[in-house]
Amino acid sequence: MIPQLTREDLKIIGYNLGRVGNIIGVLMLVPIVISIIYQEFDIIPHFIAASALALILSNLAVHFLNTKKEMELKHALCVAALAWIFMMMLTAIPLYTTHSTGSYLDANFETMSGFTTTGLSLAQDVDHLSHSINFYRHYLQFIGGMGIIVVALTVLARSEVGSVLTFKSEGREEILRPNVARTSRAIFGIAATFLVLGTVLFAIVGIYEGMNVGTSFFDGVNHAMAAFSTGGFSPHSQNILYYHSFPYEIVALIIFLIGSFNFAFHYAVLSGKRREMFKNIEIRTIFITLMLSTLVIAAGLLYFNVYSSPEILFRKAFFQAASAHTTTGFGTVYPAQMSNVWPNLPQTMMSIIMLLGACANSTGGGIKAIRVGIMAKAFFREVKKALSPKTAVVSEKYHHISDTPLTDTVVKGAALITIGYIVLFFVGTTVTMLYGYNGVDSMYETSSAVGNVGLSCGVTSPAMPSMLKVTYIFLMWAGRLEIMAVLVLVGFAILALRKGIKK
Amino acid sequence: MKKLAVFTAIMLLLLIPAVVGAESGEVLIENSRGFDGKQVTFQGEVIGVMIRENNAWVNIYDNGIAIGIWCSADNARNISFSGDYTHVGDTVMVGGTFHMACPEHGGDTDIHADNFTILAVGRVVARTPDLPTVVVSVVLMILAIFIIFWLRHVRKEKGKVVPWPMSWR
Repeated sequence: MIPQLTREDLKIIGYNLGRVGNIIGVLMLVPIVISIIYQEFDIIPHFIAASALALILSNLAVHFLNTKKEMELKHALCVAALAWIFMMMLTAIPLYTTHSTGSYLDANFETMSGFTTTGLSLAQDVDHLSHSINFYRHYLQFIGGMGIIVVALTVLARSEVGSVLTFKSEGREEILRPNVARTSRAIFGIAATFLVLGTVLFAIVGIYEGMNVGTSFFDGVNHAMAAFSTGGFSPHSQNILYYHSFPYEIVALIIFLIGSFNFAFHYAVLSGKRREMFKNIEIRTIFITLMLSTLVIAAGLLYFNVYSSPEILFRKAFFQAASAHTTTGFGTVYPAQMSNVWPNLPQTMMSIIMLLGACANSTGGGIKAIRVGIMAKAFFREVKKALSPKTAVVSEKYHHISDTPLTDTVVKGAALITIGYIVLFFVGTTVTMLYGYNGVDSMYETSSAVGNVGLSCGVTSPAMPSMLKVTYIFLMWAGRLEIMAVLVLVGFAILALRKGIKK
Repeated sequence: MKKLAVFTAIMLLLLIPAVVGAESGEVLIENSRGFDGKQVTFQGEVIGVMIRENNAWVNIYDNGIAIGIWCSADNARNISFSGDYTHVGDTVMVGGTFHMACPEHGGDTDIHADNFTILAVGRVVARTPDLPTVVVSVVLMILAIFIIFWLRHVRKEKGKVVPWPMSWR
């Protein structure tokens, strides 16, 4: 029997949300550096006000809800779920007050899209946004990307269902580093390395392609943050198409592919386990599904005479497919062209790979390659079983850092999360279609939101209905948290309503 | 003579949309298959210039849509301002061939400019801090600092035992 909620439960949640708010309050001051560099002094007060508000609310929460009681799994999941909402509402303030978005709802959409590393945008006139606000958008993606990994490792890992994606299952919790603080440091170390590398590469290519040095570095930092966090925001409305540059696309491709890999995989490879690159179930799965989907997309585009040459097919089909599969959202095709020019077959294939998603414990979203790989292996195991004699014992294992037996519990966990994503996908698609959009576009945009991708076929715009914006905010949030934390939060609310709160 | 005048008038009317009535960015992108390979006129604000040897990419923005223009480097060098937060970019009108998937440029949607005219030179936009916002931000930050130090003091005084807020009793 589930115990009744107590005030202590709420205090634990509130206290920890306060701690998160404190961090956000401090982090919101960082873009002021960019405001000073670019002399955008009119933007500074907006960051100061939002930061102060966050600090006031958070410190009051931490003070009045202070508790020494240990946080349990149910609290951790609720904090994980609510922290995203709390962060969204606080960080939306500068976007709204600087008129970077048309309404506070749009600002919330933008920050949820940022934090969940989705990349769908409702920002008004991105090309004329201030440098500091543009930096802030990308910076939110970077924070969100790193944050979800820490949450995945420390909170989601502790749930039975979530265990499939993390190291906690099968007693492998010490693979990356022995404790949370050291794990977080390792993650930020890896992220900082690729952030610097990405910035330098983008900047060099930018300068080589004729941009001025300052813009090359500014765009480089932003794109490195967005690429590594598989976010997909860009300081330009044309996204990567702005640069008309194959080398720029290659750099983006490399950084977002690296960003979509599991941090345990990064750690293993950097620690000298090179064979992991060829044996890891996630890398194998993502390689196979990416190649197959690119083939289907390229065949569709070729058949319907959209693009003709191999170079064009690589730059359009492969880049878009890789961006979708890694849940990045960088694009070199206009959203309207995705809807009007790309045929239904490639567009639907894009929807499918957006839903499949990147690797677990990465900044990527979606169902995750490890679950797809596990379910594929389980499928083949069942076929093998059917073909084997009754007395035969058919066992299967998968390799992720180490060899792990494919148990029914692992398969069940993977299947449950997958079902959750499919339910979200159907809900989102239905709601979008109810607003008059066609089926293919509705599937595409919903997959993009649920899978935290950010590619659009034109549905997402400031003019879209408010309820659809709210629906997509929910989809991005639930997709990022892999549904489980959201369900626990809903359970908490139902419990509180039905049984009340014990003193 | 009358026939010639009517003919000339009809021809002029046919030419006007191509010369004067520039297509909007939205129309071009929404109907890119229809415009593919056709001569178009596009007008908008310069938001980015990248010179590549003798040619250049100039990104032109029109009502929410920006399109890359492939033009001569000389055209690009004549641009005074590129639009951003503190600048309004030069307004230019471009006539050229629209490509939905340019075979020369890796399938990018672009316009290869035959003529490139700067209609208006851009300008610097002064951005000054809004006084009420400054006041609110300063007051809030002072309040935040006061609350942080006051609560820290209270916690020290009470040995980190914190009471419930009144409403929760």
